[in-house]
Amino acid sequence: MAVREDAGSRRVRTGTDPSGAPFLRARLSLPTVPATFLRRQRLVHALDEASTVPLTVVNGSAGAGKTLLVADWAAGLGLPVAWMTCDAADRAPGMFWAYLREALRGADGTAVPGVRCPAEAGRVDRGLLARLAIALADRERPVVLVLDEFDRVTAPEIAEQLGFVLHNAGPGLRLVLVTRSEPLLPMHRYRASGEMAEIRNADLAFTEAEAGELLTLHGLSLPGSTVDGLVRRTGGWAAGIRLCALAARQRPDAESYLKEFEAGRSTVADFLLAEVLDGQPPERQELLLRVSVLDRFRPELVNALTLRTDAEAALAALHRENAFVQHLDHSWYSLHPLFAEILRVHLRERRPGLEPELRRRAARWLHRSGALAEALAQGAAAGDWEFTAGALVDDLALGQLFTGLRAQHLSGLFAGMDPRAAGAAPELVRAALDLSRRDVAHGLARLRRAEGTLLADGGDRRPAALLGCALLEALAARLTGSPDAAEQAVRTAEEVWREVPAQLLDAHPELSALLLTHLGSARLWAGRFDAARAALTPVVACPPSAATALPRLEALGMLALVDHLTGWNDRARHKALAAAGEAERQGLPAGSGPLAGRLVLAAVSVERDELDRAEDLLDATADEPAPAGDPVTAAFEAVVRGRLRLARGDVHGARVPAVPAAVPSPWAEEHAALVTAAAHLARGRADQALTALQDAPRDRTACAVETARALLVAGRADEARELIEHLPRAERQGPAVTVRIALVRAQAAHRAGDTGAARRLVAQALLDARREQLRRPFLEAGPWIRPLLRNSPRLHGLAEGWLTAPAGTGARAVSRPAAERPPAPLVAERLSGREREVLERLARMLSTQEIAEDLHVSVNTVKTHLKSVYRKLGVGRRAEAVRRARDLRLL
Amino acid sequence: MRYEFRIDGDISETLAKGFPELEHVVMAGQTVLYGQVLDEAHVYGLLARFQALGLRLAEMRRLPE
Repeated sequence: MAVREDAGSRRVRTGTDPSGAPFLRARLSLPTVPATFLRRQRLVHALDEASTVPLTVVNGSAGAGKTLLVADWAAGLGLPVAWMTCDAADRAPGMFWAYLREALRGADGTAVPGVRCPAEAGRVDRGLLARLAIALADRERPVVLVLDEFDRVTAPEIAEQLGFVLHNAGPGLRLVLVTRSEPLLPMHRYRASGEMAEIRNADLAFTEAEAGELLTLHGLSLPGSTVDGLVRRTGGWAAGIRLCALAARQRPDAESYLKEFEAGRSTVADFLLAEVLDGQPPERQELLLRVSVLDRFRPELVNALTLRTDAEAALAALHRENAFVQHLDHSWYSLHPLFAEILRVHLRERRPGLEPELRRRAARWLHRSGALAEALAQGAAAGDWEFTAGALVDDLALGQLFTGLRAQHLSGLFAGMDPRAAGAAPELVRAALDLSRRDVAHGLARLRRAEGTLLADGGDRRPAALLGCALLEALAARLTGSPDAAEQAVRTAEEVWREVPAQLLDAHPELSALLLTHLGSARLWAGRFDAARAALTPVVACPPSAATALPRLEALGMLALVDHLTGWNDRARHKALAAAGEAERQGLPAGSGPLAGRLVLAAVSVERDELDRAEDLLDATADEPAPAGDPVTAAFEAVVRGRLRLARGDVHGARVPAVPAAVPSPWAEEHAALVTAAAHLARGRADQALTALQDAPRDRTACAVETARALLVAGRADEARELIEHLPRAERQGPAVTVRIALVRAQAAHRAGDTGAARRLVAQALLDARREQLRRPFLEAGPWIRPLLRNSPRLHGLAEGWLTAPAGTGARAVSRPAAERPPAPLVAERLSGREREVLERLARMLSTQEIAEDLHVSVNTVKTHLKSVYRKLGVGRRAEAVRRARDLRLL
Repeated sequence: MRYEFRIDGDISETLAKGFPELEHVVMAGQTVLYGQVLDEAHVYGLLARFQALGLRLAEMRRLPE
């Protein structure tokens, strides 16, 4: 099966950024310094001085010469330098830290060993940041990290996280922030403690002497008074002086031009840029105006916008002259941010209506050259939604709406889609957005429309779109609990799998991971555990990467659930803990592993009678940001909550509401019936328990065992024995099942007076349960078991230390060491309603007399109730009773 | 809310068109851009645009309605 085989063997390409965009290198490379750059020694010294403090902030207006100053200094440092040009996408902490980690790795391969890439754009956990800081702190020599254009990072939480890492990395990290505006770090504190060096706008301003040198570099030698005037007029602003030099060079009489300029009153940048631009040959002007819509560009892309072929030479020349163009890595260039901004204004003014057309062309070129992320951004900015959605779908990137670092960003991008955009691809993207919001009704309706359009258009020519449909079909099937539809979706996917170019499949490991996760969930809902395992195992086996992080974690959580449902609690626990650990390594908040995994941990805690822990785990799932929304987790959560209430003795509240789905789930029904039946049995209502189990699947061992228990309580021992004799021979059942089988057999033997057999069976149950600390089956077994445990030294020995307290106390230990916790009776009998009422008043420090008055009964009646409460709680005094009742959560 | 922003220097007609939501008038070596702003976010957005275009903000104030 293609999907399955491939899921395990997908290789994640190295050298691409976490979101798969190939612009990584350009964003993470030091800009090269042009020939006309003037190294200003005083500023280099200031930066060198700053080497002794952890933080340096280079803070100045646009065009103050910050970037080139720091790039030139860093290039000559002799230390590993990590350079990162921030981006609007870095507003998402996950994206910011993913790039930052990549920058550090690029600077020095050993910079951050063992720190994983964040899995989600929206959140980065302290743990990941702490590991990053520790890795930096362990370095022998510091790494210098430069964050250029840091003003684009507007999220206060990122500034705060950066402060945390900086503080904990110690001398291993030297951070240089290059920014137009004051960063949101606690600057006053850094200033006060002398931990920060600053180079501010006033320091960056050119002195007369420096301006003279710069003009000389541009081939202009001018009298001092002219230079002084120029510095006065521009305030020593680097961009102003540079532009002035360029504009003056274009004139026959530079000196008088500068004089005129000095007397002028227009805003410097705007005026000079227009001057310099107008001084360029027309085709060069056109090029500059047109590339202003791009963040970064290569000659081929520029040619696509100018419809010419000479971009390479033009860009090289522009960079040499250093008017506007910065050279990045390889053949990538970018415009100086200030000039780009002004040029865009000029473009709109001089070429009205051209901008969307340019962006459309850029989007197509970027798409062809494999730069999907940038293509989507340009297509969206052009309002060309048919193309943009089509690019996402045909690139097989629909899955990126659900997983990976770009999920949030892409959802936001397409949330702005024009509702009039028609066609299969926009409709598919809308369906994906609906489904990711768990709006199944709308999602499915749109999906059907998209499929109809595709088939009408000859969908066989668009295998990637068909795969996208299959992915959404599988997700919808999972959300509605329709296993057949999920199987059908995956079959459809397999049919078109071979039609899709292999490199696309390689670039998108998330697609098969998501498909198989949805299939596994649907199979799990149907109770086909082995088939579910077969679908989920390859997802867990695929190499960890940010792209597949979420489906991997979900698959791991569901595999844990399969283990738990087949009675293997310890295996389930290990898988769930592994999932939680992996989630944490990938920067998700601690304790936010997959929902299924956390529910499994709660269920196992109930089985071990660690009720407080179970409750904490369930409480933590209650304030989830996004529910998984599939019936598997919803039904299982209801089951765990029911079991917890039952264990707490809340026999009235222990009910498991059914979860709506297309087909019923055998295990969900079974466990709901078990909880209801156990609640009835706890109140001694065997008949109601039997009624509850009537419709439950009899071929399931657990139901048969519970039925037998109810029959024994009802005094129908022969029927019970008959049922026990013919228990379904289920394969590979774990201890949670086998222990209960042994106990019901023991109970039947005990009832028949065969104490020897009962002891033997209880011993077997104790042996099976001890390793996994399964206390719940013994606590639910009923009062018959207590004398057996008490009177048999062997059984006592088997139970001692995990089920009962060490010898002498005759009580039950719970999860905490016995020393911390008063021993409790092995099995607390249920208190009657009246007994509870008495106990509550006892806790409120009422006297016996007051309780009697409060309940309108005689003092003797209260004393009788009290005796029975003491007996049931295994205590002898008031205060003890209250304490014990609190431990057992009866109060 | 109505605001006015005073920028050092005379800005060109072209650059003024970069702020279609504002009127402008040039006086005494300053350009006054004024008009209706939607909310605080809009104000900060305008400030960032001034900065990005290399304009020096001398003064800003909210105008009485």
